[in-house]
Amino acid sequence: MPDVTPLPAATPIRMGSNAGQPRTRADGLLKVTGRATYAADNHPAGMAQAVLVTAAIARGRVTAMNVEAARAHPGVVEVYTPANRPELALEPDAKPSFFSKLTETLQDDTVRYEGQPIALVVAETLEAATEAARLLAPQYAAETARVGFDLAPYAPESVGFGFPIEMSKGDIAAGLSEAASTTETVVETPPQYHNAMETHAIVAEWKDGKLYLDTPTQAPGMSAAGFAAWLGLDPADVVIRSPFLGGGFGSKAAVVGAFLLAIQAAKLLDRPVKLALARHQMFGHVFHRGATRQTIKLGMDAEGRLTAIDHHTTAVTAAFEEFIEGASGAARTTYAAPAIRASHDGVRNDVGVPGAMRAPGEASGSAALEIAADVAAEAAGLDPLEFRLRNYAETDPMSGLPYSSKALRECYAEGAREFGWAGRPLAPRQMTDDAGMLVGWGVGTATFPCPMFGAEARATLRADGTAVIETALIDMGQGSWTAMAQIAADSLGLDVEQVEIRGGVSDLPDSGVAGGSGYTATLGLAIDNAGGDTIRQLAEIASSDPDSPLHGTGNTRVVARGGRLYAQDDESRSESYADILARAGRETLSGEGKGARGENDANDHSFQSHGAVFAEVKVDPDLGQVRVTRLVGAFAAGRIINPRMVESQLSGGMIWGISFALHEGAEMDPRTGRILNRDFGEYHVSVNSDAPSVKVLTIPEEDAFVNPLGVKGVGEIGVTGTAGAIANAIWHATGKRVTSYPIRLEELLDL
Amino acid sequence: MKSIPVSTTVNGDAVDFVCAPGETLLDALRNRLSLTGAKEGCGTGDCGACSVTLNGRLVCSCLVLAAEAEGAEVGTVEGMADHDKLHVLQQSFLDHAALQCGICTPGILVASKALLEENPEPTDEEVRYWLAGNLCRCTGYDKIVRAVQDAAAKMRSA
Amino acid sequence: MSAWHRPASLTEAIGLLAEGGVVAAGCTDLFPATRRQALSGPVIDLTRVAEMRGISETRGGWRFGAAVRWSEVLSAALPPAFDGLKAAAREVGSVQIQNAGTLGGNLCNASPAADGVPGLLTLEAEVELAGPAGMRRLPLAAFLAGARRTALAPGEVLVAIHVPSHAAAGRGAFLKLGARRYLVISIAMVAARLVVKGGRIDRAAVAVGACGPVASRLPALEAALAGIAPEDAAAAVSEALVAPALAPIGDVRGDAEYRGVVAVELVRRALRGLAAEGMR
Repeated sequence: MPDVTPLPAATPIRMGSNAGQPRTRADGLLKVTGRATYAADNHPAGMAQAVLVTAAIARGRVTAMNVEAARAHPGVVEVYTPANRPELALEPDAKPSFFSKLTETLQDDTVRYEGQPIALVVAETLEAATEAARLLAPQYAAETARVGFDLAPYAPESVGFGFPIEMSKGDIAAGLSEAASTTETVVETPPQYHNAMETHAIVAEWKDGKLYLDTPTQAPGMSAAGFAAWLGLDPADVVIRSPFLGGGFGSKAAVVGAFLLAIQAAKLLDRPVKLALARHQMFGHVFHRGATRQTIKLGMDAEGRLTAIDHHTTAVTAAFEEFIEGASGAARTTYAAPAIRASHDGVRNDVGVPGAMRAPGEASGSAALEIAADVAAEAAGLDPLEFRLRNYAETDPMSGLPYSSKALRECYAEGAREFGWAGRPLAPRQMTDDAGMLVGWGVGTATFPCPMFGAEARATLRADGTAVIETALIDMGQGSWTAMAQIAADSLGLDVEQVEIRGGVSDLPDSGVAGGSGYTATLGLAIDNAGGDTIRQLAEIASSDPDSPLHGTGNTRVVARGGRLYAQDDESRSESYADILARAGRETLSGEGKGARGENDANDHSFQSHGAVFAEVKVDPDLGQVRVTRLVGAFAAGRIINPRMVESQLSGGMIWGISFALHEGAEMDPRTGRILNRDFGEYHVSVNSDAPSVKVLTIPEEDAFVNPLGVKGVGEIGVTGTAGAIANAIWHATGKRVTSYPIRLEELLDL
Repeated sequence: MKSIPVSTTVNGDAVDFVCAPGETLLDALRNRLSLTGAKEGCGTGDCGACSVTLNGRLVCSCLVLAAEAEGAEVGTVEGMADHDKLHVLQQSFLDHAALQCGICTPGILVASKALLEENPEPTDEEVRYWLAGNLCRCTGYDKIVRAVQDAAAKMRSA
Repeated sequence: MSAWHRPASLTEAIGLLAEGGVVAAGCTDLFPATRRQALSGPVIDLTRVAEMRGISETRGGWRFGAAVRWSEVLSAALPPAFDGLKAAAREVGSVQIQNAGTLGGNLCNASPAADGVPGLLTLEAEVELAGPAGMRRLPLAAFLAGARRTALAPGEVLVAIHVPSHAAAGRGAFLKLGARRYLVISIAMVAARLVVKGGRIDRAAVAVGACGPVASRLPALEAALAGIAPEDAAAAVSEALVAPALAPIGDVRGDAEYRGVVAVELVRRALRGLAAEGMR
């Protein structure tokens, strides 16, 4: 297997210090030339190809499969079914980590959802494996599938990853009954599937007692530990190579059964095995955003100030496992009110287990809450932006804690100015364009928390004065190869071209989880600390060396810059890293760092990123066809490490918001529970022509509390706010309130 | 199942290989010729990640059989740069940050090249229309359009 | 797939087909529908059959080989009557699909939402079929027997599509409605062709697709349009004149009632567009 080669130096554009600069992508050259290696691009010698066979019913049993025919097909190496399922060290239903979910490894003949693995075929070629999979021709005994919201709800254990199902403050009943006016809004969101362009793929090879995996993961350390637990291995013997992910969006963090099967096949067959899921297999086995039905009751006083926010979510989860989309969380974090309740219950459908998908909870919750806010603004006779300002949360709406920073007011103001919000008619259906299209403007508030998950990094100065950072860094497109190098360079007082990042492999220090928009903050802090630790040691050496110009400075009174240490109070005293190391007889000098939230930080402050999204839509009055014609997002997310990557993340998030509003949603057959649109032909995501020119503004925000870097996170917030802004713009254009996503054309006509 | 010998030209180089009847051009490029720039995003012609040119025609290589490449000229992303010198489009995509995860990028570059060969001065609308068949889930569409337009301008003045 | 054949002539193709196999003509529907390689038996690729290639003007009108790709339709020099067919070619899928998918494949696949059908119906298209029993011709409307059903007999192939000279007159238009800007399977689509003489509509041909198991012409509307000024055509369209020809269903893409309403509006727009293009 090829080693993961270190990346070449970034395209050299140097402008001052490193962080904060719009550096081009470090991995760009590999990507534009087709040489960036994704999991499925690996092809070790002797490799066999596996094809996963998935259930074509949503509930029932597999009664028969023609294993003999499949085995007899030329080129077939082995066929795995529950009858010859390889044994695991743990029960298939075990959950070795906090993020683990029940998964399927052919434990029995039960079918729990469409797309569940029911067999694995391994052959010499992909063509042979595909043909043998067809020959298996599974027979089923299907039962009536449970589909939709109208089933008995139950009280889940927790929401999202461990949140309580209900949080509240104040007297909701009083807040509603004493309100000058109340509104009630019900909004449904559909099941959505991550559909990263790279389908889940793995190449598994056992070599010299170790397991080598080429597979995309958002959390190399956690994934390695998970695979090790299921397979009964020492985690150190599992090496995951994941330098590039073709998108993840939350779907590539937890171990899935299909991968365990491929790994076991590789062991039993004593040869490397590749398994890449087909696109249609991305609808079921590898998580999704669960459907929600949200009921939002708002009470207001005569001035349109909220007296109560009562946000209840019924979330669809799997019949056999729980993940509750924490949509009501939006009520806890967006607007101020004396009484707030955010509650959830669940209904069980015969679907694959839901999970975290870009802005889990917040995306769905904000899509509904922002409509509710507009309904309330209309009831209060207020401009939607004015309504939001009147209900501005100066402190955390639920906990009352001060924000570590919050420049949302500036986001509203700058976004409105850029968009040209002033002069917007209050009533709907007032604006048309030359072609007779109905024009509408809408706004949505964006917010997303700033979690930190814990990460580690090692920095090493080399004899020539350059440095290498080692951490199991992954890049799923957000630009971490680039941004982390910028942080590293600053922490080491080097130019970014002098810093090599060695990452993408799990046997390096644990890079934590690229998720929750917390990667740059967490891993960045680990790298910053590792660099700082290295420089401290270097200063120590110099300070204690009588031959150094820095002798006696002590390690706190030096500055690292441009590959030299300077005495803080006398810059004429300085020495290069290379000289210090040479005199000390050191080939290298390493420091280590961790990144995590400070233990008590969360007791003192609330940490949220914020933003305001403004949308213009044009609606065809006779066809109901909607075009998003303009989108402006203004975001305050702490310190920006690389404006170019950040803009891409934010505008990409906003286009996800368009997709949420207008396109995406799995359609379930109510009788069979099968998904009717399991391909890119019919599961619509925005295409190039659907995307308008997107304007992203980043509002400067200094944050001394969120973490020492002042970095908040931008990966997910762009999705929040946007869907609601579009729904509200559609109301403004047509007078029609959207009650479910994606917005269907026929709902916008008077039929 | 009979194997089919194929003689073709890939990125200007004569290539011979043997394939199965049902093998797609995409799989042959990736598995037999180690040209893994073209990706399988869907296998149904809906995403464009596998875009290559076949005798100058932009196609989804997942919908073309490898055997169809007999006597044809195939162009992939690996053939865009002239050794170390990037194609104008490749450089423009770097400069405009028109890529994120990068897995759709090879297909988009090949499609963009085919567009500019047919229409050296497209409007934004024409770029968006032409690239509608190339999905980007990171959704950097706006930057892609800007990168293509900038490259087109550079190529016109070259 | 056990074997792959690419016959060069019609005789060869029919001979191969007699031995059994799946016909391919661009593979843009075939591979997705069958999960690509999982095709049993031999595949017979018709795209190299000489008789199925090319667009040509014949004595009786225009002939389109069944293996003509959509991009060939787009770039062909055709009279304005074919503007609707060209517009359909532009929206049949992405550029990549237009470069692979064929007219014949579109017709034989017989999807209710086949983009090529409404335009060809307004062009009075006939299909030329060949099989062990020889050649025959059918009106396109008779060829399309229902959703995913055609009049092809076992062993028979679609060789060409003919548009008679009288139908190659006037100007055509096509409109397609989908939930996304491009790359959509139609919710509804409309093709129209008007022949105008002396400021009046001499002949009108209008067809609606994706609103029933097969696309269909609107004879009542066509009769109502004859003799009126093109600029009055859109106003003459009423639900009563359109609805009888439709049998819309509700599905993932749109509900039935909506389809009925937008079909009427799309017909109006197609006619308005044709009037604006100066039919006189």
